[in-house]
Amino acid sequence: MMHATVPTVVSAEVVDALCAIVGKENVIYGDEELLVYECDAYTIEKQLPNVVVLPQTTGQVAAVVKLCAQHQLPIIPRGAGTSLSGTVLAVTGGVMITLSRMAKILEIDYRNRRALVEAGCVNAWITNAVKAQGLFYAPDPSSQSACTIGGNVATNSGGPHTLKLGVTTNHVLGFEMVMPDGEIIWFGTRPDGGEEVDGYDLRGAIIGCEGMFGVVTRVLVQLIRAPQMYKTMMGVFENVDDASRTVSDIIAAGMVPGAMEMMDQLITQAVEAAYHFGFPLDAGAVLIIELDGLAAGLDQQAERVIEICKKNKAREVRMAKTDQERMELWKCRKRAFGAIGRLSPNFLTQDGVVPRSKLPEMMRFIRACSEKHGLRIPNVFHAGDGNIHPLILYDEREPDQVRRALEAGHDILNMCIEMGGSATGEHGIGVEKIDFMAKQFTKEDLDAMRTLRRIFDPENRCNPHKMFPGSKRCADFAPRKQIAA
Amino acid sequence: MILQPSNTEQLVQALAQASARKEKIECVDLSALNRVIEHTAEDMTVTVECGATLTALQTELAKHRQWLAMDPPNPDQLTIGALINSNVSGPRRFGYGTIRDYLIGIKVILADGTVIHSGGKVVKNVAGYDLMKLFIGSHGSIGVSVEATFKLRPLPELEKFVQVQCKSLEVADRLIEAVIKSEITPVVLDLHQISKPENNAVTVVLGFAGTREEVEWQLAKAADLGFNQHSSLDYEATFWADSTLTHRLSVLPSTIVRVIRNLDGAPFIARAGNGIIYHRGTPAPRSEVLPLELMRRVKDAYDPNHILPELPL
Repeated sequence: MMHATVPTVVSAEVVDALCAIVGKENVIYGDEELLVYECDAYTIEKQLPNVVVLPQTTGQVAAVVKLCAQHQLPIIPRGAGTSLSGTVLAVTGGVMITLSRMAKILEIDYRNRRALVEAGCVNAWITNAVKAQGLFYAPDPSSQSACTIGGNVATNSGGPHTLKLGVTTNHVLGFEMVMPDGEIIWFGTRPDGGEEVDGYDLRGAIIGCEGMFGVVTRVLVQLIRAPQMYKTMMGVFENVDDASRTVSDIIAAGMVPGAMEMMDQLITQAVEAAYHFGFPLDAGAVLIIELDGLAAGLDQQAERVIEICKKNKAREVRMAKTDQERMELWKCRKRAFGAIGRLSPNFLTQDGVVPRSKLPEMMRFIRACSEKHGLRIPNVFHAGDGNIHPLILYDEREPDQVRRALEAGHDILNMCIEMGGSATGEHGIGVEKIDFMAKQFTKEDLDAMRTLRRIFDPENRCNPHKMFPGSKRCADFAPRKQIAA
Repeated sequence: MILQPSNTEQLVQALAQASARKEKIECVDLSALNRVIEHTAEDMTVTVECGATLTALQTELAKHRQWLAMDPPNPDQLTIGALINSNVSGPRRFGYGTIRDYLIGIKVILADGTVIHSGGKVVKNVAGYDLMKLFIGSHGSIGVSVEATFKLRPLPELEKFVQVQCKSLEVADRLIEAVIKSEITPVVLDLHQISKPENNAVTVVLGFAGTREEVEWQLAKAADLGFNQHSSLDYEATFWADSTLTHRLSVLPSTIVRVIRNLDGAPFIARAGNGIIYHRGTPAPRSEVLPLELMRRVKDAYDPNHILPELPL
């Protein structure tokens, strides 16, 4: 399939036509205004789109997409831009379609526990809207107060509480998508339809496609009953190995906590300096374990967890006594990335996955990596899922540090794949992890994926130059603005 | 043509050959590929060959007090491959979901003999497209699944069933709504009438699973709603033991009673929480609008010579 080999040019006529579709106030062009859209939360590669449109209806999205099809222009769907892998980078420019002005909750069906929302609706708004009725939307990425449901569908987002409940694909029943030729198609369960849909599970095949199959405009999500009670504990350990063994032992005891999150010493210190929760500064690892569900029997389960922590030499186990304390603890965890600003001007985060039983080995490898590359690497991660989040600290003003940070990241992800895991558990491939695709998958696997791409987007125009080895990189196009890597 | 490979290599060759000669494959018998390849209890994952039966797999997993949280009919005959191909489920689906919630990795031989993998053996993985989903419910129409990796759950400490006989569908409907609004979290919420009793009664069944404390608390709550009669899933076995053709409907859960009323008294089991109805008698007309053109493109792309069975729609 041909790729565009020059940066895209969008003519004044096309800009006028876009203005006619969505209104002049919903079209952004000119370098100054476009700067916000030069990257997502992966800031190592940057590139401006030619133009950004902010449609307000599915019809407008379809009209914009059709116009782009007529002019053979790349389209880049975008939610809040909180992705971490360059997933919404306009590699060769193009027309960015931002869904942030389609953010309404359209319908809530309490009896059937469903909500129909526009793709730009922020993840956390759904739970906020239904919690008075004892319901919630389960996937809770750390960026949930900003990220959109449409973006969650594109990246199959997870979060700390997916250990027990699964990820986006397990909670999105169906959605409306504008195909790259402008056709509007509903995939999966309809708002008034049954949950089983005949034929191929195209809904499932689209979720996690990183915006490469079309522009999702409306999403039907499943709501579930909120737990009656939470028991949130914090175990303080001398080292990561003891904490990792605790995770395995809890699972082996037949318990599935709502979440098990680990923070190592460096990150605990940074979080403590930023939020003053009362984390011990000299502990090798802090493990947050959250049990949830019916109140009946939860105390007994919590006792067993405490017992297992103590057996693994926990120095202390603290229980959140009030809901307030629980929220504080989670705030610290979810804002851990933010606390890193105190340690370093920049960080590169990875989200590789290893089988849970390989976590201690992985943590030892990361320590060795940190020494080898002379960079600090704090860790905060979803221990229950084996989903690591090493934060490689560097200073972008030092080219050598940038190089070493990238190398350290590569070493870690290669090791994840070697251990039978994956290069990405949550953030996706985007432009950042393209090189790992050929390591994790065979040529045949990749061809089968390319086949799927062609089924949805035969012209490779929707979010192009992502995912697959051989894709164009920003550096190939002498971009107008890019921070060196 | 019926294929009976004794290993993956034979299957690869047979499919490549059939594809080249454009010979139709009616059936692939994978019974020789029936090993449990790797059960890592501490990771709660298992990799199994698709010719193994669900019962054989569950027996192996139960040694470590784990299970694949699926309970479709006839598990002693149902192979893992058939489970994936047909996307069947059972009464506990309300609590545990379907096979798409558990499948984390798959190895498939495509129609031309190409071996592909999707997913892996870790529980969280977003590398590449989620091709796995295409094979669930595909009825073997775009490839032959030979190996699958699942995430598992611990076996519950205790499981109990209770029921109420309701004198009409309307009464049952109100009761189901009361259950959904209550704090209990049953893993089974079924409505059935597997043979027509004189008084026209329908039965609502609840199943609870978990720790002893969780189950007992819920049993007490269910009793307050009127669920006083002990029950079991025997009705399920009875219904499926009858070889009469069964039809399946999937509707908005709140509308099941309205739909059942149009079945003219035919025997049925409904997963009331999911809106799935299995019934005998005449099939209801279907009005679902599906993206058929895209589905045709999927079939053409992965099985260009159409040697594998067509997708029934």
